[in-house]
This record gives sequence, structure tokens and C-alpha cells, in this order.
Amino acid sequence: MPYKLQTKDANLWYGDKQALKNITIGIEPNTVTAFIGPSGCGKSTLLRCFNRMNDLIENARIKGAFLLDEEDIYHDIEVYELRKRIGMVFQRPNPFPKSIFENVAYGLRINGIKDKNKLEEKVVWSLQHAALWDEVKDLLNKPALSLSGGQQQRLCIARALAVEPTVLLMDEPASALDPISTSKIEDLIYELKKNFTIVIVTHNMQQAGRVSDKTAFFYLGELVEFDKTQKLFTNPEQERTQNYITGRFG
Amino acid sequence: MKNRHHNKVITTDKVFRWVALACTVFVLGILVVLIVDILSNGLRRINWSFFTNLPSRHAEKAGIVTALAGMVSLLFFTILIALPIGILAGIYLQEYGTRNRFARFIEVNIANLAGVPSVIYGILGLTLFVRTARMGNSLLAGALTLALLILPIIIVSTREAIRAVPHSLREASYGMGATKWQTTRRVVVPSAMGGILTGIILALSRAVGETAPLLVIGALVYVPFIPEGPNDQFTTLPIQVFNWISRPQAAFVVNAAAGIIILLLITFLLNAIAITIRNRWYKKMRY
Repeated sequence: MPYKLQTKDANLWYGDKQALKNITIGIEPNTVTAFIGPSGCGKSTLLRCFNRMNDLIENARIKGAFLLDEEDIYHDIEVYELRKRIGMVFQRPNPFPKSIFENVAYGLRINGIKDKNKLEEKVVWSLQHAALWDEVKDLLNKPALSLSGGQQQRLCIARALAVEPTVLLMDEPASALDPISTSKIEDLIYELKKNFTIVIVTHNMQQAGRVSDKTAFFYLGELVEFDKTQKLFTNPEQERTQNYITGRFG
Repeated sequence: MKNRHHNKVITTDKVFRWVALACTVFVLGILVVLIVDILSNGLRRINWSFFTNLPSRHAEKAGIVTALAGMVSLLFFTILIALPIGILAGIYLQEYGTRNRFARFIEVNIANLAGVPSVIYGILGLTLFVRTARMGNSLLAGALTLALLILPIIIVSTREAIRAVPHSLREASYGMGATKWQTTRRVVVPSAMGGILTGIILALSRAVGETAPLLVIGALVYVPFIPEGPNDQFTTLPIQVFNWISRPQAAFVVNAAAGIIILLLITFLLNAIAITIRNRWYKKMRY
């Protein structure tokens, strides 16, 4: 099966500091892949390479190939098009100070969709797929910031789904949430896998164990080990992985 | 030893508290005296005809209708000119401008412009608009001069409002494939609107009180008609007050006090609106 996302000898520097070192990894479609590792290991950086969010950082420089559906992310696809195909959910819920409806409709509006029925249809679809519809169906015109943190994060997921990406990048999506909200997000990730390819960065190893099919362990900008989650957590090949998952450092 | 030091610290603390309180009371006291003085002088002069009468040689017949009309039209044109330029410049400097020495140079100079004495804007307006562009002492020349005066205020407050918009909102927008312009127009500027509006109203309330630059460009002190277009001559409330105060007759001083009351009310009202909008906006921007 062809990879959904792929990197070949990917390197990234922030100024003189190398943040990613020769990373080669392939992510299969309709799977959940967890990136784990201590802070500063490059996992978020790699995640942000896939939708070119690092472009916003002035002194970031990359080398190597990044592929989406075997197309070069940095050369063959226009960046705006790319970000519609690869959605992103951030660490802290960041809904716009607009209504719930307008938050989800945002991605459609910037694509020039004005037809009210079409907007409504997509907003409902997105909220349903983000497991938020039942909670907000009577509140669509209320401000998004009136929702709880966990609801806001699911709203952000709905917002990302509305433009129908095929990949969803999640940068520690539950780290700012309470355990109940976290478990809702985890259940949601499991559901979303049917339609999307998901890459999730997490500091929480139990979470990686619960939600992911495969796990990649990063250390100091290197990909140390990448394997089936169960294998990586129970019987890692590398000693550094073993030390990290048993809590000996990191 | 330690105990003595402790007592000293406590005393200093108390003394500082009382000194600060005294300063506050002093400032408030002056304001109260000023307002009471003005009110006791001018309040009896305020009635309906004061608002509707034309200026007159007879103090008891004189009114502020031309000054009010002049002021409103002046502000209208000032805003029309300063608003789009100021907001766009602010957006450019904050969102698009690169951070280099030239940008910092411009930044510092805009902040400096906001502190330039207003009479200098008057001289600039006189040279540029009244003489070189041959606009004469018209409403348009006055509006252009005041627009120059409040532009730095609008630019600086627009930048500050835009800077206060959390970076995470921009990321969310870019992350969905929005362009810079879409992000600016649909997310950044609407989120900053409360702060931008506050700045505009404060700039307006500054423009309302300006006398010096308008006197320099030749706004008339006696205008017996309501301006009908941008090329008409005009007067404004502060100039009317200035005119009345310089009259020898005591009755005109009463008129001046009444005019000041109206001017104060307008300024307070504008400031109150600005504060209300700002408070609402801060609540909205709390993340």
C-alpha cells in the first residue's frame, strides 16, 4: 500500500540548530500514528513540516523530501491547497472569537462557498464527525468561547474537518484538557481513523498506547524507532526507546 | 537591629501610602474646582436657544449652532480621510512589515509624531493645504490638517490592537489554507476591532478639543452660517469658546463657560464610549 505521508532524509534547521536529522518515515492511510519523545526532540517540528507551518518561522530551513500521496509537499503542491488537504489541530483550543457556526464555516468561506444550504450541511456534517453535534445543535449562534475547553477542542477538530482534509495532524490535542474531555477526544480519534489519516504528537505515553496503531520515538532530532505501537511499548528494539518508555529519562 | 529595620520599612510603607493618596486627592480636587467653577458660571446660560442661535454681537442672543455644525462636519471629513489610511498603515506595519532597522526607524518616528505639538500641524496644514494646494481656510483644509494630527494615534492604536490578537488564531487560519489577506481580513482585524475602535474614538476626542492648528490655518472666529460643503469656511466649538473668552464683556465669559460645558460633555461622552468598547473587547479577547 502506498504511503499517505512520507519523508525521505528530512532535515530541518532553526538557524544553526539542527532540529531534524535524516528522518525517513512512511505513514499508511487510515491509521493513527503517534509521535513521542522528550521536549525538543523534533516531534512537533516534523508534524509541522507536513502542512508547512514551519514556513511561518523566519529562520527555518529544510532539506529532503516530504510527500503527501507521493506528491512533493514543498514543490508540487501549492501551500494553501496543501493545508486544505492536511488539517491541523493545535495544543490549546484556538477557536475564533466568532459563533460556533462561523467557526466551522470558516474554511468553507475562505474557499468562496457562500450558499447557505451548503454551508449548513457541511457545518452539521463536521460537528457530527467531531462528536459535538448533540451538545451544540441548539447553540450554533452562540460564541465559540462560551464552550468548555474540551468542547472548544472538538470544535477546532470540526473546523478542521469541514474542508474535508484526508490527513489530520494533532499537536498534543488533549494536553490542556481534563481527563473526561481527553477520553472524548481519544474516542473521537478512534472514530476519525475510518475516514482520515491521523498523526498525533503526545507527551502522554498511555495516550499513545491507547489511540495509535504505530508509534514513532524521537530523540534529539532523530527518529530512534518506528514500529507497531504494541511492539514498541512491550518489546522495543532500541535501548533508548526502552529507557524512555520505562521512564528512565525524558 | 532587625526590629528597627522592620519598623522603618513599615513606616516608609505608611508614608508612601499617604503621599500617594494626597497626590491623588490634589489632582481630583483641581478637577472638581474646575468643573464646579465652569458649571456655576455657565449652566444658567444653557438652554435650547443656545444650541440653535447663530453667533451674535449680543451675548445673550449668541448661540453655538454654527460651531457645532462646523465641528461635526469637520470631524466627519477628518474621519473619512484619517480612518482608512490609519488603519491600513497600522495593519501593514504590524502584519506585513518586516522587522528590520528601517521598520523600527519608522515605528519610532510615528510614535514621535503623536507627540508633536498640534500647532506645528497647523503650520504644516497652512503651508501644504491652505497655500500650496490653494484650499484656503476651508473645511477640507481643516479636516486634512486634523487628519494628519490624529493619524499617528490611529496607526499606533491599530498596531497595538492587532498585536494583542493571539498568534494561535493566525495559526488556526493559516492551518486551514487561508492566505495572509484572508487571515488578516477575516480573523485578525475583526478580533482587533474593539481596540481599533477605541483608538479611533480617542483620536476623535483629541480632534474635538483641538484649537491651535485650526486657528493657524485660519478657521474663522465668527461664522454666521452653517458650512454646506467641504470648501466652505467654518468654525468649531473650541474656537468659538476662544473667541468669547477674549471678549471684554462679562456676559461673553458666561457664554464661554456654557460652551466649555458642552465641549466637556462631548469629550466625556466620547471617552465613555471608548472605555465601554475597550472593556467589552478585553473580555472577548481573554484566552
